[in-house]
Amino acid sequence: MEQGEESAKSFGALAFGLLRHQVVSITAIMLVMWVILWQMSPHFLTVRNILEITLQASVTAVIAAGVSFVIYAGMIDLSVGSIFAMAAVGGGLAYHAANNAQWGTFPGVAASLLATVAIGGIAGLVNGLSVVYLRIPAFVATLGMMGIARGIGFIICDGVPIYGLPKAYTEIGQGKFGPIPYPTIITIALFLVFFVILRNTRFGRFTYAIGSNAEASRLSGIKVNFMIPVIFVICGACAALASIIEAARLGTMQPNGGQGYELQAIGAVYIGGASISGGEGHILGSLIGAILVTTIRNGLNILGVSAFWQLVVNGLIIIFAVAADQIRKRR
Amino acid sequence: MTGETMAKLLEMIDIDKSFFGVRILDKVNFDLGAGEVHALLGANGAGKSTLVKILSGAYTLDAGRMLVDGRGVDMSRHSPESALAMGVATIYQNFHLIPHLTVAENVCLADFSTGGKRWVNWKTMRRRALDALSAIGLDIDPGRVVRDLRVSQQQMLEIAIALSQNARIIIMDEPTAAISQRESEKLFGLVRAIRARGVGVIYISHRLEEIRQITDRVTVLRDGRNVGTLPVDDNLSFAAVVELIAGREVKMGRRPRATTLGSEFARVEGLRVPGYGDPVAFSVRAGEILGITGLVGAGKSEFARALFGADRPLSGSVRVEGTLVDVSNPSSAIAGGLGYLPEDRDTSGLCMGLSLKDNISLTSLAKSKSAALSVRRDVQLSGRFRKDLAIKSVDVNQQVRYLSGGNKQKVIFAKWLAANCRFLILDEPTIGIDVGAREDIYRLIEDFVGTGRAVALISSDFDEVLSLSDRLLVMSRGRITADLDPGKTDKPEIMSYCLGVSDQSIRHAAV
Repeated sequence: MEQGEESAKSFGALAFGLLRHQVVSITAIMLVMWVILWQMSPHFLTVRNILEITLQASVTAVIAAGVSFVIYAGMIDLSVGSIFAMAAVGGGLAYHAANNAQWGTFPGVAASLLATVAIGGIAGLVNGLSVVYLRIPAFVATLGMMGIARGIGFIICDGVPIYGLPKAYTEIGQGKFGPIPYPTIITIALFLVFFVILRNTRFGRFTYAIGSNAEASRLSGIKVNFMIPVIFVICGACAALASIIEAARLGTMQPNGGQGYELQAIGAVYIGGASISGGEGHILGSLIGAILVTTIRNGLNILGVSAFWQLVVNGLIIIFAVAADQIRKRR
Repeated sequence: MTGETMAKLLEMIDIDKSFFGVRILDKVNFDLGAGEVHALLGANGAGKSTLVKILSGAYTLDAGRMLVDGRGVDMSRHSPESALAMGVATIYQNFHLIPHLTVAENVCLADFSTGGKRWVNWKTMRRRALDALSAIGLDIDPGRVVRDLRVSQQQMLEIAIALSQNARIIIMDEPTAAISQRESEKLFGLVRAIRARGVGVIYISHRLEEIRQITDRVTVLRDGRNVGTLPVDDNLSFAAVVELIAGREVKMGRRPRATTLGSEFARVEGLRVPGYGDPVAFSVRAGEILGITGLVGAGKSEFARALFGADRPLSGSVRVEGTLVDVSNPSSAIAGGLGYLPEDRDTSGLCMGLSLKDNISLTSLAKSKSAALSVRRDVQLSGRFRKDLAIKSVDVNQQVRYLSGGNKQKVIFAKWLAANCRFLILDEPTIGIDVGAREDIYRLIEDFVGTGRAVALISSDFDEVLSLSDRLLVMSRGRITADLDPGKTDKPEIMSYCLGVSDQSIRHAAV
């Protein structure tokens, strides 16, 4: 009897502990939302629609994966939406340049992908170096980069969107492995890699340490001035990778693409349980956060709610997610 | 001019104050006459600032009475505002000034010279500022921005502002700590001038020579008690004052320890600390606890930070076990075997939001070469230190922010032990730690050097360094002023070196 009570108590504690774990509670919220949407529309909970949601979520999720590192390290990156556009356009130009030089389709696509990821990484590196060596807050450094990258994206293509991508490129966004879209596979693979990095490498541990207390981390022997630029490089490269997925899905690179994506990605990371002051958060939370944001958009679409209202709902969710974090901290 | 012959401006009678059960003030009596400069002396933590903070309304008192002009003050309603209304003003180092506003704006900060109107009147403000400045003979342009003034000018401006608000009791807390000799002379001139106007000044300083220059009486606090109030005249013996400040009794005996000091373990040469001119040099032997003491502001912490590379030293070399250590940054200092417990462990010692496990393994990870880590290894490692050091926590996954001060300090200690640190620099390791945990920390230090390594123990607590260290350095104003044998010295001697009392006879008399 006593033992039964004990185990009941420990089960209760375990359930409570799990619920307090943001990844679990956010997943629960997502499932509840799916059931509600399913009740409201039979079209919602079909395999096709769920796969569609993961496909739609992939762009936000991949950006959010990179932004997660920055937020866990106690900083912010506002420039990912602009880097997204600049890197995509740069990659498009690289493809056409390679095409004009008679490189052939596959080398051309490879050059394009490489150029996109490199541009994203370099923009991130500039962010990180400004934070470390110019000693400006990440908010300001990336706010500047937000304008710079957007501007450069327009300049290099004269404001003209890039078309004429070969099937080898568009296949990345439109192809499927069995019923599963490639973007979904890319996203899952990326999150698995990041999960391992954050959990099982020094780099991941130090990312959280810097977010928790940068000065204590420095005095513990962590090379903070090296870590911060690398973290921003990861973030920029992820934004670039997301831009490849979108360009491949749409068959075009748009210099005005990616607008507002930084807010969606940051929102997804906060919804996923990251602390705004850094040092806390789980990468799977960011994935669920991205899916949740997309679910709402998708669900409201199916219900025929205007796109304008979707923005409002999105904003409200971010506010409540951060408020929940603050309440949790106060206890 | 002694207090007895003048009307009492201020009387504080039987003042008691405790924080968290620790008695800071114990039936302290203090009085101040009109036109008197009364020095308040005492070692770190003797209760000086607590006493003046009760006067200025920042703290409440537990028991006791306060009279201003012979009339009782209702202490239950005493507040910073009511203290100001009574004419009590505190001059910290530009504490009350707003640096990017002009002198005139600072003078008129309380009401901006609106005279009840909606608009700011710049002309009136300027005139009022000039009045306030000329009243004490200060020649500063009211249009200048406060930030651009010298520290001494800022202090004098604060005094001018206090007087323009009819201050009658002025508290000056270490006013000469950051200013030059010549500026000090100017400040003293000003103090004499306001004394002549019947203002009472409470003067807190660590510099004994100033006491003779400008004060009328001196009161010494020690461990929260008034141990003596003396008139400042030709009969005043510095030796007696030093002994009053330091006390003779040693509260903790020397800790017994089987010390077998080895050969030279670490050597520091010509280390120049940012902000202090003189190079510092010393050496430590294997198995040695090297105590370093001094008053607050002596440069101990700055020295510790430079030694560890937390602030890059201007020059100098550090050798551990014969090998040159690069101390230009913490990472390479750690690679050379150094470790550092900062004075402010919450803000620079620990990642509060991380677990015990993550904090304890942090430095050993930073030292390791491999990219991957084993969570299981970290759990085992931190579990072992949690047990060995008797760290009280739920488990190794608990966030360190929920631990007590002593347990937090043990986590930092564990971090350095896990990283195989050889030479540990401890900056005030027991500050804010309860007695029981303090004993644990002492034992950790002793165990650490017992394995043939060495410790630099920086502490303002004389009892602590006397009982624990094998050798004792005293710092004053950024320099090492004495190298003492803790078994053969006492607190008055240490205090005389801390105060930089230069007269050999006084030092001799104090011993």
